[in-house]
Amino acid sequence: MSDWISTFPGYEQLLTTAKKVFGKIISTGPVPRHVGIIMDGNRRYARQNKIEIKEGHSLGFETMASVLELLYESGVECATVYAFSIENFKRSNAEVKWLMDLAKLKFQQINQHSDLCEKYGVKIKILGNKKYMPRDVAKILKETEELTKNNKRATLNVCFPYTARDEIVQSIKAVVDESTKNHDLIIDESALDRHLYTSDSPPLDLLIRTSGTFRLSDFLLWQCVSPDCSIVMVDKLWPAFKPWDMAKVLLQWSFNQYWYGHGNGYTTSTVSGIQLYQSSSLIDLNDTKSSSGYQRHAEWQDDISEEDIDAEEGEVEDGQESSGNSSVIDRDDEVDTVTSSESDSSKK
Amino acid sequence: MTSSKLSDHVRSEAKVNTSLKDITSEINSLSVDSSRSNGPEKPPNSIRNSSLVDVVKLTLTDLFNFAKLKAHQQTSSLLELIQFYIYHFILLFVFVLITIYKSIQTSYRKFFIKFYTLTYYHNKSPQLIRDDVNKLSKIPKVLSCILDLKDKDDEMGGIDGLINQISELSAWTISAGIPYLQIYEYNGKLLGNKQYLSKLNHSISKNLSEYFGSSILPNYSIKIPHQNFIIYGPNNNSNSEIDLTISLISRVDGKPTIVELTKTMSELAISNELSIRDISIELVDEELIELVGPEPDLLIYFGPNLDLQDFPPWHIRLTEIYWEPDNYDVNYSILIRALQKYSNCTVNVGK
Repeated sequence: MSDWISTFPGYEQLLTTAKKVFGKIISTGPVPRHVGIIMDGNRRYARQNKIEIKEGHSLGFETMASVLELLYESGVECATVYAFSIENFKRSNAEVKWLMDLAKLKFQQINQHSDLCEKYGVKIKILGNKKYMPRDVAKILKETEELTKNNKRATLNVCFPYTARDEIVQSIKAVVDESTKNHDLIIDESALDRHLYTSDSPPLDLLIRTSGTFRLSDFLLWQCVSPDCSIVMVDKLWPAFKPWDMAKVLLQWSFNQYWYGHGNGYTTSTVSGIQLYQSSSLIDLNDTKSSSGYQRHAEWQDDISEEDIDAEEGEVEDGQESSGNSSVIDRDDEVDTVTSSESDSSKK
Repeated sequence: MTSSKLSDHVRSEAKVNTSLKDITSEINSLSVDSSRSNGPEKPPNSIRNSSLVDVVKLTLTDLFNFAKLKAHQQTSSLLELIQFYIYHFILLFVFVLITIYKSIQTSYRKFFIKFYTLTYYHNKSPQLIRDDVNKLSKIPKVLSCILDLKDKDDEMGGIDGLINQISELSAWTISAGIPYLQIYEYNGKLLGNKQYLSKLNHSISKNLSEYFGSSILPNYSIKIPHQNFIIYGPNNNSNSEIDLTISLISRVDGKPTIVELTKTMSELAISNELSIRDISIELVDEELIELVGPEPDLLIYFGPNLDLQDFPPWHIRLTEIYWEPDNYDVNYSILIRALQKYSNCTVNVGK
């Protein structure tokens, strides 16, 4: 059905416009700053629809591109996608090799079109243990990071190859190392936070897992147990997950934040209350960042325009071209998506 | 560096005895009712510390600032302002629709929870629970539950409510044949106070005797990993097998324990007893299992919306998570539905 609709002329254009309008609407209310996505279900989708697994992965990539576009239009500052788990090396040699080749190909494409990427303003960061990566892939990824490091509009963290336990151990090691050099170092949770891969990103607000599996599968464990992070499990397989579903999740989050002051919705726990009480006894009502009124919105807009001072005219151009650009961006991401998915575990 | 040495270090650092201490006799000697005198502190549930005057003042300055802002950028700002409010109005309209949808959904779910509560009732008979569980293809070895400490005035609220819930849960898990039950409560109110523990021990054995009869009371032990305490049930002989281990954990067993481990490691590294290269996932895993407990197979949250509340992050890697939306109680039907869900899923790491 949806395939049939998408053959109409102007469908893509309509979709992009719809995303823009939705983004404008939802950014007038609370929006998560950092979204994590476990893209699970590419292979199962391929099996169910009797297509090749490779094709399942590339469909998964397209979904990711389209979902990320919506996220960035809505004002999400940072998205983290689970592209490849260290455990995925347990898959068949052929599949791992194919995924690596695909990653190489896609990132090479990004590197060649870096100017477009720059225009869209997405900074790509690779999170994960680089020693597991083949050397040629690592080199290309490094290049991509270098090329996009000055972009400021939004961040895309690609977890490749990553597990949360590896991240925690890496952070412990870094702290221990630092403490041997600096004996006065105070070791606490913030010290460990500082050395996590996500240390540059805002705290995780929303974690989405597809394919109806209620497991975290070693993804951002340290970040997502926080009482302020809400976890959403979706029944659909990743390639069947459309921007419309993403919009529903975002609206729900926004509603919960607006109504209950908490992304999870109504909770009976006393946890966040206590934490708020401890951290700031008085909440500054004049803090425009936290309110959802026009002033916050205006400030947010100001921030953006300040960042793009050098290209004030470029901004307009940006807006017009963003549909084209975005598809390029996604191409970068393609790597992740394609490789990604089914990252850990799958349900029967 | 042997593993036991590291965790011993962490414990001695926290001024906890390094060998597992049996405090059963100490607990039993405490009278049950004495805890009533010093009730639990009420958790702060209000963050409104500013007075009305402050609010009015801040609102006025806000308005004033806004007027100034508008004066600065007259033309574009006004247009943007109108645009913003149009979009915001649409958003609020959608929110109104969501509230209507949610209220319908809530009543629908509540009806179903009621229905399941009536369908699955344990009737305080281990045999009925056993029958329900025998239909399942597999059950978890380690079950973890997140419980909320509710307000004292609520139904099943306060410390007494929590103790009741834990004793019911332990009776169900023993009947289901699950050998390890982990209870997570964020504040850890129960763990710090030996009188509460005494009460808990008493309540569990009383509840078990209601299920099993006092002559064949199952064997259980209560563990508090953070303080390294263990309490044995009333009819414990050293040679008999333990049917259920109840482990009580709180926020301190999560991130703070990992921090403690890091501190210990850095001390050892400074004194050159541990090389950084030796720190591996396996080592940390071993230590955290020793300090906190095993990785749970199934995690049940008995609250309306999933909220992990700083649960130990290391331990929920492959844990199946279950919660029933719009459910507020610790209910047998929830447990059995979680077990059913668990028996239907397969974990294949990476593949």
